[in-house]
Amino acid sequence: MSAPVIEMRAASLRKGRHLLLDHVDLCVSRREFVGIIGPNGAGKTSLLRVIAGFEKCAGEVRLFGRPQRGNRGTRVRVGYVPQSVEIDPAFPILAVEAVMIGLSGRLGLCRSPSKKDGERAMELLEIMRVAHLARRPFGHLSGGERQKVSIARAIIQRPEVLLLDEPTANLDIAVQKEVLNLVEEIHEREAPAVLFVTHDFNMLPGAMRRAVFLDGGRIVYDGPSSEALTGENLSRLFRYPLETFQRGGRRFISLG
Amino acid sequence: MVEQLLDSLAHLPMQRALLACLLCGLGCSLLSVFVVLMRMPLVGVAMSHSAFAGAVIGMLLGLHPTASGFVLCLLVAGVLGPVSDRTRLPPENTLSIFFSFMMGLAFLGIGMLSKTRAGVLDLMWGNLLSLSGRDVALLGWTTLVLILFLFLFFKEIRAVLFSRTLAASSGVPEKFIYYALLFLVGAVVSSNLSTVGGLLIFALLIQPGATALQLAYDLKLFFLISALAGVSACVLGLALSYILDLPSGASVVMMATLIFALSYIFSPKRRAAKSS
Repeated sequence: MSAPVIEMRAASLRKGRHLLLDHVDLCVSRREFVGIIGPNGAGKTSLLRVIAGFEKCAGEVRLFGRPQRGNRGTRVRVGYVPQSVEIDPAFPILAVEAVMIGLSGRLGLCRSPSKKDGERAMELLEIMRVAHLARRPFGHLSGGERQKVSIARAIIQRPEVLLLDEPTANLDIAVQKEVLNLVEEIHEREAPAVLFVTHDFNMLPGAMRRAVFLDGGRIVYDGPSSEALTGENLSRLFRYPLETFQRGGRRFISLG
Repeated sequence: MVEQLLDSLAHLPMQRALLACLLCGLGCSLLSVFVVLMRMPLVGVAMSHSAFAGAVIGMLLGLHPTASGFVLCLLVAGVLGPVSDRTRLPPENTLSIFFSFMMGLAFLGIGMLSKTRAGVLDLMWGNLLSLSGRDVALLGWTTLVLILFLFLFFKEIRAVLFSRTLAASSGVPEKFIYYALLFLVGAVVSSNLSTVGGLLIFALLIQPGATALQLAYDLKLFFLISALAGVSACVLGLALSYILDLPSGASVVMMATLIFALSYIFSPKRRAAKSS
């Protein structure tokens, strides 16, 4: 097993009286694809925000062998895709420029993107199948198109860790599948460690070999996804009777 | 009448007024891009009232009102961003609290001023024709620093305007950029106190940016349109005030409003949104 890119030991995050993360221990290696699963309010987004350096927590959080202090050197190595990017449709930014924002930190202050950087942005938009929308204002794109542009923005950073916070939320089923395939393609090509937050089990990426269940800010399961996704485990996690069944080599979930 | 106007430009006060107008229009309109896109319209009133309160306090203490206004405005501009972030209050709430506090402070000071209220009114409405060389030089330096900042950090500014969270996640020093922009608003507002006046600066920090929002999808073009709208409003407003013998600050704001109204009527973005 290669050196971990993320190490969390007894990480706890408190907001007022609410404990959002409770003594979380988590190690993620290079190239790993980890699914973070849990009900609403389980602490999934908080976990990503701590790893991204947006929140300071008690305990220890190390990225690439160094303490996470939210400094530039660490942030440029971590790509972050939120659930959605809300923006005024009249905001003056084109889709290709939104992708280039991902480069702003890596280039450093007072340096402009080169022609090569522009070509790389277009290449990523092509991979995400939205190159034809490159010159369209970002605010005019649909939810799915924005999400693809957001993933391209995170990827142009050449991140070693990619944090995806429910990237398929609010998308129709066809676009969800397309985004999932593209995430897997990016994982295959660029090989970052991926933390994929979701609560939709019927849309889990095939590349996800490891599952982490979060409940009430605690990790209640961390192991192979093939063993994790059983009706019994999921019923316990969501406190609702759930059943799993296999079809075409894939596991699906239904209400029990 | 035009000849009379051109003749007047031979006089130093009019030359200073024109130069100050150009610089005021340029500085405020460039910053209005930030104010409009970050949806912080109250930043203009909060800063202008800070400068106003500072000037009133300066008058009470026998200091130069522009200098004391400048200092208090910069102080507020310097603490506004960190206070908003640390308290986790929405920026609009923080701005409202600062705005009302500064307004209260200013009126408290005015109540204590016994004889020099006319000078206070100059600060509220501005007086372009009584500017000193030092006032114009201060405007020039502030505008120059602002333009340099925009040139040097354009890509970082674009990232912060798009999303502070995403800018931070890509490694942009978003706090530095955001706080610096707030600080520059403070510097531009306070240095313009004696041109269009504390209250009317609010209009110039909103209307040019709002005008550009009707017309441009490209951020560089957005800055350009905003600057053109701001400078035109100032120069045309000054000419109008000279020709019709009207208060100069109020004339500038009337012009800025007219330009915005025209951009709204002919906005291709609005028409595209209607048809979609």
